[in-house]
Amino acid sequence: MNVYWLTGGLALAALVFSVSRFASRWNAMQKLPFPKDLSQPKDTPQRGILYAFTLGMAPWAKESTRRHMAAYLRGIAFHVGIFAGLGALLASPWFDLMPEIVRVPLAAVTAFGVGMGIAGGILRLAEHHLKAISTPDDHAAVWLVTLFLAAMTAALLSSAFVPAMWVVAATMLVYAPLGKIKHCIYFYFGRLFFGIHIGRRGVVRGLIKHALPFGGEVTHGK
Amino acid sequence: MENETVTTALKVLEKQLNRPLAAALEVCARCGICAEACHYYVADPTLEHVPAYRAEQLRRVYRREHDFFGKHFPNWVNAQDLDEPTLEKMTEMAFSECTMCRRCTFNCPMGVDTPLMMRAIRAMATASGKAPEILVMLADAAIEKGENPEIFKGLFLEQIAEMEKELQAMVGDPNARITVDRKGARVLYVALAGAHTILPPAAIFWAAKEDWTLSIYEAANYGVFLGDTARAKKIAGRIIDEAKALGVEEVVVAECGHACASLIWDAPNWFQEKFPFRIRSIIELMADYVKAGRLKLDPTANPEAITYHDSCNLARTSGIYEEPRLILREITTNFREMTPHGLENYCCGGGGGLVALPEYDEKRLAAGKPKAEQIRKTQAEIVVAACENCRLQISDLNTHYQLNVKVTALADLVVKAMRLPKREDQAAAVPMQPIATVAVGE
Repeated sequence: MNVYWLTGGLALAALVFSVSRFASRWNAMQKLPFPKDLSQPKDTPQRGILYAFTLGMAPWAKESTRRHMAAYLRGIAFHVGIFAGLGALLASPWFDLMPEIVRVPLAAVTAFGVGMGIAGGILRLAEHHLKAISTPDDHAAVWLVTLFLAAMTAALLSSAFVPAMWVVAATMLVYAPLGKIKHCIYFYFGRLFFGIHIGRRGVVRGLIKHALPFGGEVTHGK
Repeated sequence: MENETVTTALKVLEKQLNRPLAAALEVCARCGICAEACHYYVADPTLEHVPAYRAEQLRRVYRREHDFFGKHFPNWVNAQDLDEPTLEKMTEMAFSECTMCRRCTFNCPMGVDTPLMMRAIRAMATASGKAPEILVMLADAAIEKGENPEIFKGLFLEQIAEMEKELQAMVGDPNARITVDRKGARVLYVALAGAHTILPPAAIFWAAKEDWTLSIYEAANYGVFLGDTARAKKIAGRIIDEAKALGVEEVVVAECGHACASLIWDAPNWFQEKFPFRIRSIIELMADYVKAGRLKLDPTANPEAITYHDSCNLARTSGIYEEPRLILREITTNFREMTPHGLENYCCGGGGGLVALPEYDEKRLAAGKPKAEQIRKTQAEIVVAACENCRLQISDLNTHYQLNVKVTALADLVVKAMRLPKREDQAAAVPMQPIATVAVGE
């Protein structure tokens, strides 16, 4: 068995572990009670959910992200890099077949993610309050993902790095559902519940008005 | 080894663990972007005032029970066993350093519901006997009142009879009435303790020719502040039963943030029931009157520089932020907004039951500094707040920070601007009611 098959098998096993653990977390969440809301809604939850996952994520939509625009955009760019890296991981057994016109831009995105990851990691160490609220898990997560993106960048540029990238990816995939990285599935729930809240209670119409460019008006539907 | 207090607190945490709470406990990325969203942090930028730090106090306990690393390698995720000193520390934090205003939630990229976690801690504290005694006392007194209404009903009716005379003088109509618990009325109005939340609305109802009656109960619900659903349900239940017995179409709640939020949004879920009547704030009803032209208003009656403070429970929790402005546009000539306002408004610092807790006065006044600065910048002479606790807090801020403003309810200004059918040449002269100096209780 050569190193290619060995590391590839390791990454695949880690992927299966990761997906199954995330699925089990998802199921555990679904098993928790979520009582039906019987209050009389002022607007639709759907409108709130739509806002929460779209306009509500815009950098100008919240005071906090307007105030910390650079930090927020850094985080967004880091996560774009991560999603690009995960997509590339799924395609990695066929990297040799991937044209350069795809590999190089993809490598640029993951490389940018590396930069953003390093910046995030340093920020977490340097900023007094951020450091104080961080756990060792928080530091490990950001550096592990950054390492994965670096390995992916190298693998996209040269197939010689693919086995090394698979080892790093396997480590990250095993760690993901156990440590801080697991927040990725709870993000969905967090925004969902926020969306339901602002939707049902008629708060969303004001938020939409605020988030639309040039203070556009949105008719409040019943 | 866990003692009984800790065991009780942990049981309450487990019992409360539903999907929204679990999401709030799990999703935080500890990015710290929530810090400046909190008025405590703006007033005093210390670590303890970062919402994510506060929530971490509960998350550490949660992780010890529910997280792989928390169970096996607690230091890796700062997990911690709950002990009594930790519970006490958490309790003080939840009751004195978070007003559950939801400003951090609205500013969080993940939508972390920190107030939900603070409410969970409050519930843990209440169940284990650690909650502030005053809140427990106020809640229990309200429950007792619901169980034996006859004891106070006679005195209450006497007081209302006196108020009715005042109303008649105010509106110039000897037939103006304040009925109590009248069957068949369209609206059941639930006031707070004190004439100041009864007389101005009564005058407005009279002018709008509303078919209304007054509840014998107050709208305040201290069970909510305790995070104690059982108590909160009993307190709300008095009003729900009363409304059902009277067969009203609407329950209209006085200008009170938490009372509105709890009756409108929580009560149907506590009782797992769709009520046969609508529940809304008097602000929403007044806005409807204004839109329908049921009140004849003269904005020149309120020429002073006026600003409006959005109660967190009305704006962020109940979506009531356009209605008060719609009314204010019709009753004032010099209205000015705070910056920020509406859904982004800062909490005044009096929410979450804090105005009823004298032991935290110093913290409360310190946390109100951003609000005081906001008010000062508007150069307003009058601050309108549609919440009793906000008015109490802003009155205290007024004294503490020497703002030199008058603090009033929206209904007071509406009445001042009203041109009464029989006295069109002059505005209804309603004296500004002094604001109660203690928390409105039962």
